Order: sequence, then structure tokens, then C-alpha cells
Amino acid sequence: MELASRTSNPAFPTMLSGDIIREADEAHAYTTGRKTVGSPFVDNPRMTCRDVEVYYGEKCAINKISIDVDCNEVLAMIGPSGCGKSTFLRCLNRMNDTVPSCRVIGEIRLDNIDIYHPSIDVVPLRARVGMVFQKPNPFPKSIYDNVAYGPRIHGLTKNKAELDEIVETSIMKAGLWNEVKDRLQEPGTGLSGGQQQRLCIARAIAVSPEVILMDEPCSALDPIATAKVEELIAELRTQFSIVIVTHAMQQAARVSQRTAYFHLGDLIEVGPTDKIFTNPKHRLTEDYITGRFG
Amino acid sequence: MKVTSIFVAGALTLALTAPAMAARDYISIVGSSTVYPFATVVAEQFGKTSGSKTPKIESTGSGGGFKLFCSGVGVNFPDITNSSRAIKASEMKTCADNGVTEIVEVKIGYDGIVLANSKTVEALKLTRQDIFLALAKEVPDPANPEKLIANPYKTWKDVNSALADTKIEVLGPPPTSGTRDAFVELAMETGADTFPVIEGMKKTDKEGYKRVSQTVREDGAYIEAGENDNLIVQKLQANPTAVGIFGFSFLDQNADVLHGSIIEGEEPNFEGIAKGAYPVSRPLFFYVKKAHVDVIPGIKGYLAEFTSEKAWGEEGYLADKGMIPMPKEERQLFSKNVASLKVMDMK
Amino acid sequence: MNSIETTSDLLKPTTRLKRRYRVERWFKRLGLTAIALSLSFVAFLFFTIFSDGYTAFKQSYIELEVHFAAEEFSQEKLANADYPGLVKHAMRTMFPEVTSREGKKFLYSLISPAAAYTLQNMVEADPKMIGTTQKVWVLADDDVDMLMKGKIDRSLGEGNRRVRDIQLAWIDRLESENRLETRFNKTFFTTGDSREPELAGILGAVKGSFFTLLITLSLSFPIGVAAAVYLEEFAPENKWTDLIEININNLAAVPSIIFGLLGLAIFINFWGLPRSTPMVGGLVLTLMTLPTIIIAGRASLKSVPPSIREAALGVGASKMQTVTHHVLPLAMPGMLTGTIIGMAQALGETAPLLMIGMVAFIVDVPGGITDPSAVLPVQIYLWADSPERGFTEKTAAAIMILLTFLIAMNSLAVFLRKKFEIKW
Repeated sequence: MELASRTSNPAFPTMLSGDIIREADEAHAYTTGRKTVGSPFVDNPRMTCRDVEVYYGEKCAINKISIDVDCNEVLAMIGPSGCGKSTFLRCLNRMNDTVPSCRVIGEIRLDNIDIYHPSIDVVPLRARVGMVFQKPNPFPKSIYDNVAYGPRIHGLTKNKAELDEIVETSIMKAGLWNEVKDRLQEPGTGLSGGQQQRLCIARAIAVSPEVILMDEPCSALDPIATAKVEELIAELRTQFSIVIVTHAMQQAARVSQRTAYFHLGDLIEVGPTDKIFTNPKHRLTEDYITGRFG
Repeated sequence: MKVTSIFVAGALTLALTAPAMAARDYISIVGSSTVYPFATVVAEQFGKTSGSKTPKIESTGSGGGFKLFCSGVGVNFPDITNSSRAIKASEMKTCADNGVTEIVEVKIGYDGIVLANSKTVEALKLTRQDIFLALAKEVPDPANPEKLIANPYKTWKDVNSALADTKIEVLGPPPTSGTRDAFVELAMETGADTFPVIEGMKKTDKEGYKRVSQTVREDGAYIEAGENDNLIVQKLQANPTAVGIFGFSFLDQNADVLHGSIIEGEEPNFEGIAKGAYPVSRPLFFYVKKAHVDVIPGIKGYLAEFTSEKAWGEEGYLADKGMIPMPKEERQLFSKNVASLKVMDMK
Repeated sequence: MNSIETTSDLLKPTTRLKRRYRVERWFKRLGLTAIALSLSFVAFLFFTIFSDGYTAFKQSYIELEVHFAAEEFSQEKLANADYPGLVKHAMRTMFPEVTSREGKKFLYSLISPAAAYTLQNMVEADPKMIGTTQKVWVLADDDVDMLMKGKIDRSLGEGNRRVRDIQLAWIDRLESENRLETRFNKTFFTTGDSREPELAGILGAVKGSFFTLLITLSLSFPIGVAAAVYLEEFAPENKWTDLIEININNLAAVPSIIFGLLGLAIFINFWGLPRSTPMVGGLVLTLMTLPTIIIAGRASLKSVPPSIREAALGVGASKMQTVTHHVLPLAMPGMLTGTIIGMAQALGETAPLLMIGMVAFIVDVPGGITDPSAVLPVQIYLWADSPERGFTEKTAAAIMILLTFLIAMNSLAVFLRKKFEIKW
């Protein structure tokens, strides 16, 4: 479906209310709405995104998305594969900068500062917006060094004792302390998958970020490890804003306060998680969560 | 960025300090591979007994030696070049153009070029005419001596009915070698001159004469065996019908397995070459840059060692290595020239 | 069961299945033959080299009773004394029956000219020796040595061998008096080149190779790694980088003599660096090994999983920190392997060194990077080209030493790869 026909189709001028969309029958009509359904904006947001577009070369991957990230909330992003949720997540700490062909248009603000402004340095940005990846990727170094790496490069500590403390509290916050306290000098790659992922979370929180981005953090883990990570996410919410991309709708339902539904580069609907799962306003959202496609 | 700047700095330092490092306290010698085995012995003897550094000797071939030698005066250029032939007028001109105007020529002895085969078969008895007929690309037609035809001879018997009925198979040096130059000049050309038709071309068609008298056949009877004479020796042992062409010193060292062909009644041995009776022999030289003699330490000592009786004399160690000494008068003449550093007449 | 053959009958394999297995068997046999064939070539090579060369590690020595007569040392300098005369005198005393001029010549030729150097060194080390008589073991001539090692056939007629009958008799007498014996050839490992096979050693060439490779390693490793890191991690993807990549791959396949010509033009003629030295040799070999190291370096950088780069970037490491803290350490084993293989290649190279004058007769063992020196393969080439029979075994022995170094370097490469390889 081309962009041009969608934007200039006179048959569907502006569709603001969920009801109108629900009544439209043609499949393509669902996606013509530029305006997101639900409540994408909050008061006192931590991050604000306005009209964000992402292009890979000529191809449009994200189409004018506007959303806020609240303080101390878990925002879940769901949607079928290739809908752009991971791409959007990576815009929030400019990880997309590493892809040469990637272009980001629009405005993303962290604490009201435009993070795509030319004078912004990505290094401190990434210290404030941490990231946890799909596959656990600890450095092939010791557990201690994994966690200490961030504070070291950012010069957060004055001496060894402070560093030790940061490492200890970070690992504790990540709920891993009891399991690894006796073997901090052993390689991080020797841990189990779930432990590795929690180590990666400890590594991310060691630099005291404000926002933690999680890109399907549990997809490579077994159910028990997943449960532990989910528990951890719930605890971390008290200190951080968390944006999590997930394929498992139950997971989104369990851990998040708000949920955003993405579809083919569009942000279709945002709302409180219980509302989205019990009473979705948009037909596409409903189809997805009831399992009609995805 | 830091890394790059270190490298740039390093390269600059290297470039700047290079001239300062170029002072040389050893003699640098280049030139002929035929003289190399003799010059190296003298150099070693000189280095071991004088306490000076041993000269460095590169085997570049006579032509390559002159090219380096004549490139200029200064520590970056060789002091001495060895040669298995006299310097050519063109080389002298290059030398003069580059400021090398004072050259001392030193003749050191003779080298015989031998045609040898395995001791398991009889030694060949050849004339230079036989050699020409066996190896030239074009020979006079036996039916019509006025006409030149492509070499038709397949066996030695075809060439000369007195010879054995074996295939002509000669292993010899490639055209880049000084041995090849000397062989062509001493054996082939003289052989060619025995035919009136070729002899006559000398006056009428100089180019044609050179081509006919110097071109070695390319139909497989002459095999270019590379510069490594030891390889030829090994191949001759494996193949008794083959004949090899190399310097006398290799025959001398391998006299237990090889014997040299008798050329025009003369066996290739020490006495025959020294007397000048063996026809395929040539003088050996080296050339000294006079401007270097007082700059590079040790040149005088090296020259004295080379021209001493214990080195190039009849009983000297060079004779042990296979070099054929000059007659006494000639030795005296050249050692006097060396002592006074008598320079050549640059035309 | 009907008549149609199916593959589902587990007890009776179909003809089709049998054919598939036959092809597999044949393929295995072919592969095995290929391996066996190449192994037998290697075995043959090792066998011929070893059987030719092992004798080079032994050398014949003759015991002389040398009288250091005081009147011989009347000159001001000890070096000017007639040491060969002392040797000859000692030989005459041992065989007083030899009186003819020719006989004496044959007699003296049993002893290596190196004997005189041995005496000179002894006297210079301890001048108190003058006036005394000492028993000295000196090197025998290469012909004697060849005879002792059975490389000269005694049964041949006198004219067909380099050792005369009368010399044979003397040699037998010396042997029966225990004045002639073969010992471990220390000289071979402690001296430089020589025109006397019995005096020729490998140390000059080994040190020359060492200095040359030192220069090569210290230049090509950092430059190669820096180039690989830049091209792989920092360079923008455009036509220029493509062009550079193609050129690097091409350079790796350029005949090495071209680098020699380049080195001659730049380092010697333009920079004026001294000919025949490890410095120039090292620079030329640097040019030659750089493409190998860059290609190996890029391959090992590529094999570092991108997740590590993301992890480092994700906690806020800069690009440079990501590379130096994480990517480079992980790529290092592969880079080291590539470097060592490049070095091994450089160790065996002669062609480019020909152009810069390292193929030369150099007796003095080099003391630094600006002394003229040969390298191992050049030494092999020079010895193989020497007329004296004694150099045949030296050539084989030098090949053995070169092979030892090559095997050691390649094993080191394998060891490093195994040791530092990180398992995921």
C-alpha cells in the first residue's frame, strides 16, 4: 500500500473517532488514519515524540508517529512483525545512527531537550536512555566488569569503593546479587540465559538512566527466566521509565501500564493496558489481540 | 587519530634521519656471478685476517654490476664491480655521465667455459665448428653451403660423423648470464667464422652476422637451465647423454662425476687454460672506483689481498677454488697498477 | 507391498539409495587418496632434506700439536703473524716423511683454512700462549669432512675423486691415532656465511631474518590493524572504500618481486637508506605482508558479533571505545593469526630481497638493522648455488632450520587462535 494514495484519498478525509473507523469496512481503510486512536499523550511526560518518521533509504519504516513516555511507567509496544516498533524504540536513544541509510525526521524530546538536535552528543544520551536487547549480550568479560563498564567510561565514580557499590546495587536491583555475589570475577558469558539478561539489565541501570528501552527482552528466555525478568521490570518501574517491545501480549498485559499498538509503520492505538486488551477502540487492534492476524 | 599521528611522525623521522644513517664502514661489491666465488673467498680472507669488516658482495651479473657501479659516486653506490668481461664503451660513458670518471681496471685471472658430461659415458671430442653446428639456430645448408637453413641436426653424429650417435641435448645458462655471453662469443662465433658464407656477412651484413653467429637454437636441443650451475651438474648425473655448459670451477669441484669435452684437442684443465691453449676461456676483471678508495675503510687492504701472490698466484687459494691464474708478468703489471691506483683512459 | 520400489522399506534399501551411498563412498575414497598423495609428497620432501642435511650438524676436526714459536710473533700486531705457517709447521711435524713439494700441498689441504683463524683467535685471547706448544682441535677441510661422512666414494679410482690415495692413507692414520673425529658442529650455529663449507654458519642469516622480521612486524602489525579497523568500523560505504578494498585484495596477489622494485625505487634510491640491510628488507616485506594482515584483520573484525557493538553503544560507549574496548580484543586472535601467517610468508621470501641487495655474500653476523645481512631463504639460495660439495648438506640443513622456524610460527598461530578464541 503506497503512502501517496493513503494521504490524498478524498473518500476518507479525517478520521478522528474510533466509531467511524470501526464502521469502515474496506481493509485498507483501517490504516489510512493518520491520527492515533486513544490517549498517546500524558501530563509531565519524560519523553515526547512528535511526527516521527523513519526512512531506510527511500523506504518509509515509521510514518508520523506522536507519543509520550510517562515517568515511572512501563509502556509496552506491540504489533505484528515488521510493524516498526523496534525501529521506533531504537530512535529513542539514537541507536539507529549506526545504520548508515537510516534517516529520522520529526522531533523526539527527552526532558524537553531535542535529542536529534545537531549539538546533542549521543554518548551522554545513551547513558540517560539505556537499552536491553533481544538476545542477552554480556561482554565476554567478568560479571563485575560488565556492570562496571558503563560507570567507568562515563567517569561516574571517584574510587574503587564507589564503583564496587554501584556494581553491587545495580546487580541487586537486577535481582541477580544472590546468584552471582560469590563469582563476580567469572565471565558473564558463563551465566544462564535468564541470568545473562538480568546482567544486561544491571549493566544498563548501572549508569542510572532515566529511561530503559527493552527490545523483546524475554524472547530468548524460558518461562521461568521470563517470569523473573517480568518481576524485575515491575520493580524497576519505581525508578525508571521503561519502554518495552514485546511479541507476547500476555507479557504486555502483565507488566505495562500503557500499551501502544503498531501496524505497518503506523501507531494505531495507545491506551491504558487494561483498556486496550479488554476494549480496544480500533478494529485493527481488536483483530490483533483477538488473534485474527499477527 | 593518535595512532595515525604516531605513524606519520615515525615515517618522517625515518625519512629525515636516513641520510645520516647512510655512512658505510664496509666495502660494497657487486657484479659477475662468475667472479663471485673468487671475490667472496678474498673478501672472507681479508675480513678474517685484517680485523676490518668483511666486504659485502652481491652477485648481480656483469651487466647489472656495471649499472649499479656507474650510477654515481657516494656511499650509496658500490665501490667495486666484478665482471667476466671488459667494460664496454657504453658503460664507460654511463659512468662518466654520472661522475664516475676515475676507474681502476684489475684483471684477476681466467675462467674456462666447459662442455661437460657424465663420467659414465665417454668425453666428447669437439671442435668449435661442431659446437656451432650443434647449437646455432641457423646453419649453412650441407647441400648448398651458400644458403642458411634452420638447424637440421638431431644427433651429434649428424654434426660430425666421428661423434657418437646420441641426441643433442645441451643444458646451458640463459641469455642473462655472463657465461652465456662468453660462450657465444668464444665458441659459437669462432665456429661460425669457419664457414665462408657467414664470415663474409661480417662486412656486408653486420646485423645478420651477429644474428646468425650468436643465436642459439630454440627447438629444444638447447635447454636453458637457469643460473644455478649446481642444478646442471645434478641433471647431468641423472642424464648421461646430456651435455652441460658452465664455468671451469664447477667442473673442478665435480671432477669425480663429470668430465669436460675435449675442444680442438685441448682438455679443459688447469694448465691448458692457464697457458691459453684451451680455446673457450675468458679473462675476469674487477673495477674499482678511485674516488671511494680513501673514503670507505678497507678498500686498499682488500685490493692488496686480492693482488697478493697467496691469493691470485699459481699456488694461491683462488687457484684452489678453480680460478686460472694469469702469467707472472701480467700479475706483476696489474699489481703495480693497483698499488699506484692507475686509472683507466676514459674515452 | 506392491512392486513399486519405495524408500520406506527399512530392510531393503532401494537401488537409488544404494547408488547414493556408492557416490558417497567414492567421494570419501577420492578425498582420502588426495590427502595420502599430498602427505607422501611432504614425507618425501622431509625425508630427502633430512637425509641430505643431518650430517651438517656434525663436523670433522683434526688435532694438531701447534708450537707457538716466539720468533713468529716478532711483529707489532698479533694479527700479522703467519698463522697458516704455524698450521703447516704442525702438519709437517706430524708427517715428517712428506718432503716433496706436491706432497706437502696435499698434506696442507687436509686442514681447513679456518684453522689459521682459530689459532689467531686463541693467541689474541691469551697472548701468554706464545712460546708454548698446545694441542688444538681444528676444522678439517671440507673434502676430508665429506669423506668422513661417506659422501666421497673410496672405491672409485683416484682420478675420479677429490681425495688422493696418499691423503686417504694420512686420514686413516689420523683416525687410528684418534686425531681425527667428527663432533657436533657448533660452528654452524655461531658463525655467518663463508666460502669454506666447514666454516659456513647460519647465525648471520638467522639474525638477519630476525631483524628483518622485527622491522616488518613492528610496522605491518600496527599499520595493518589500524587500516583494517578503519576500513571495517569507521570508513563510510562508498565507491572510494570499494576501490580501496579491491586494491588491497589485488595487492595481496601481486608477485613479490614487484614490491622489491618498489622498495628499490623508494627506500634506496629516494630515501637513500643503505642497501642490503634488514631495515630496507623489513620495509619491503612490510609492503608485501600488509595486504595479508589487512584482509585477515577485516575478516576477524567481521566475525565479531554485532550484538557486542550494540551492547557497548547501548551503555553509551563512543565508537572508538566500542572498538578498542570490545571489538578489537575479540578480533585480536584472528588478527594475530593473520599476522603470523604473513610473517611466515615474509620469512620465506627471497625475490623482493634480490632487488634491494640482500642476496649477497655477507660474512659478518649483523649486529643491528643497519648492518648488511642476508636472510635464511637467501642463504639457502646462495649455498645451493655454490660449487663446493660440502654446501649440499649445509643447504639441506639450512632448509631444515627454516622449516623449523616456519612450523614453530604456524604452531604459534594455531596456539594463539585456540587459546584466545572466545566461545559463545
